[in-house]
Amino acid sequence: MALTTASAPVVPEQPGRRSPAAHKRRGSGGGRGRQGVAGYVFLSPWLLGLMGITAIPMLLSLYLSFTDYSVFSTWEDVQWIGLENYQEMFTGDPQFYRAVTVTLVYALVMVPLKLAAALAVALLLNRAWRGVGLFRGLFYLPSLLGGSVALALVWSALFAGDGAVNEFLAFFGITGQAWVNDPDYALGTLIILGIWQFGAPMVIFLAGLKQVPVELYEAASVDGASPWRQFWHVTMPMLSPVIFFNLVLETIRGFQGFTSAFVISNGTGGPVDSTLLYTLYLYKRGFAEFEMGYASALAWVFLLAIGVLTVVLFSTGRFWVHYADGEDR
Amino acid sequence: MAATAVALPLIFGAAACGDSNDDAGTDPNEKVELSVFWWGDDSRAETTKKVLDAYTAAHPNVTFVTTFQGNQGYLDKLSTQAAGGNAPDIFQLDDNMLSELAERKVTLDLTPYVEDKTLDLSKFPESLAKYGVVDGEQAGVALAENTPGLIYNKSKLKEFGVAEPTTGMTWEAFITWAKEVSTKSGGKMPGTMDPSADYKALWVWLRQQGKEFYNGKELGFTAEDLTRWFELWKGARDSGATPTADVIHEGNSSDASKQLVVTGKAATSWVWSNQLAALSKNTKDELGLMAYPGDPSGQWARASMYWSGSSKTKYPDVVADVINYFVNDATAAKTLGIERGITPNLDLRKEVEATLTDANQKTSLAFETEITPKFGAAPTPPPKGHAAVRTLLVSIAESVQYGKATPAQAAQDFLTQAAGKLG
Repeated sequence: MALTTASAPVVPEQPGRRSPAAHKRRGSGGGRGRQGVAGYVFLSPWLLGLMGITAIPMLLSLYLSFTDYSVFSTWEDVQWIGLENYQEMFTGDPQFYRAVTVTLVYALVMVPLKLAAALAVALLLNRAWRGVGLFRGLFYLPSLLGGSVALALVWSALFAGDGAVNEFLAFFGITGQAWVNDPDYALGTLIILGIWQFGAPMVIFLAGLKQVPVELYEAASVDGASPWRQFWHVTMPMLSPVIFFNLVLETIRGFQGFTSAFVISNGTGGPVDSTLLYTLYLYKRGFAEFEMGYASALAWVFLLAIGVLTVVLFSTGRFWVHYADGEDR
Repeated sequence: MAATAVALPLIFGAAACGDSNDDAGTDPNEKVELSVFWWGDDSRAETTKKVLDAYTAAHPNVTFVTTFQGNQGYLDKLSTQAAGGNAPDIFQLDDNMLSELAERKVTLDLTPYVEDKTLDLSKFPESLAKYGVVDGEQAGVALAENTPGLIYNKSKLKEFGVAEPTTGMTWEAFITWAKEVSTKSGGKMPGTMDPSADYKALWVWLRQQGKEFYNGKELGFTAEDLTRWFELWKGARDSGATPTADVIHEGNSSDASKQLVVTGKAATSWVWSNQLAALSKNTKDELGLMAYPGDPSGQWARASMYWSGSSKTKYPDVVADVINYFVNDATAAKTLGIERGITPNLDLRKEVEATLTDANQKTSLAFETEITPKFGAAPTPPPKGHAAVRTLLVSIAESVQYGKATPAQAAQDFLTQAAGKLG
């Protein structure tokens, strides 16, 4: 069947099944030395990038997170202060907790809604009807503009006290809020903006839906399953790896939200810290208050938190993600 | 491994290049190239470059490489350059940043040049010259002078039939006046922006009671003082003298084009006196200018901007001479006009005045001339951490404006958190 052929190449890669011969081949050097050099030469642009742009700066920032480094410090003034930055963060910085709360609310509300919207629209666009390609394009468009400053500016104009949204509401006799200028609503507008940009996960869902074998639906309908049951018992399990993939990706992306909050709040995270996303707070401490050491510490706590979160997501995946070759595991 | 092998020679190579010029600077005709960096718009760039060109005409061995950009991101770029050890030879600063950079030895100590009059500050108002001193070092030289100024909408006041506010009126009288504007406009135009988040308004108010915003490297006021400040404005908001919190929030942005007097959402904005011309460009209404309420002795001759040199410059003598040229040469002063603020050299101020054509610039200058004799002594420039304290004041004051905290609670929060930022 189609399923077994698709999963076949995966099987030999599994650790338990690797042949002794493969082990031996890997271990022996033989004539591979020269090939190794060529390999490294071809890899070198990437390696240089990894070292220069990722690895070295990361290690440097880890070191700096234990110092009082300010943007203006020269190396001679940098003082080792041990865990002081971390201590301050957890015991003496109310804004840190504020930023954590705002970020959690933002990500935990936005991500599920965004995925639900993406899946719903993907299901609609999976049908073969006239002009469906155009609609796919239109729905994808917002996420192309996703990180753009222009879009955030438009958003803040739409949701301003005298903006289009309120004019629209006034049409129905509803008096709107000051949305982006009101601490009770500002984060909500950011969440809506985030949800609206569901194009990227939608495209991935569409690709996933195309992979579900038609035979399964045929078999289910022969057995008399309603469309609803087909959705729950065929589509969802078959789609679960894709849902999982989108969930992990969007969660990480959600926690990294920055541009829209930065633009809409003018870089302040206001009003009254209501849009103070974690990365925005980090930016403020680093570049507006010049405390790069502290900002580095914030960055490392953030990295660890996202790491832990991803591990947690992966460990729950075992209970609800079904791989086509599941019987092998 | 491969990466290190390539990277190391590059680093050492670069370092070796940097050292070769260290012993230069003795020959007066030696070719000198200085980098100059400032923020501002095209018109500022034009006048600044003109002055630099004139300097080159007089000293053909000295040439300049200039860079300028908008205010946004200026400090990010300067700080990145300073961190990499390539700060420009001459750069523009304001008092928000002077101490931050001076205390970290980014700026060149100009004291010896001031002492031997290569850099002559004797024609400056004394307090203006001192306002560039951090920890006993002349860290910057004022390029221009300004002072806090209230800018109000003359046209609208005439329309509502409300008298113009006057310098010297008490805070209570001002708020009552603002309330009258709100009423006479039929509630459409509140009389004043609420400045409770504005550090300079708070500062002037504190000085009028014999206190300062900063006492050295600490705050110069107590939670009780700040509580009274927040309560003063809570009363004003409740009476309708100011707009609502969400509109105030828009005005709290430092952007000139978003000031409420320009967007028509309040009749008065709390800004700097030299901003009259810039704000006028954004509105059709005629604008007026006065001092902040209370005794004008609470105000001082503030350096609106400084020229500072880099402590790493190879040509400190030339840097001092160029700065001197900017502030003491008559042609340079006339070229610069008062776009950055009023000419700092008192002798040249009259000459510059005669060349002004813009009505708003004339008003700014007349205001500054009138108020200067009433000024109190200048405080020391704000300490390191001031930028952070300013943003903290905005978010704390907003929590009161939106009714999320009581004045007393907010004042306490401010003092606790500000201490951490100043330390």
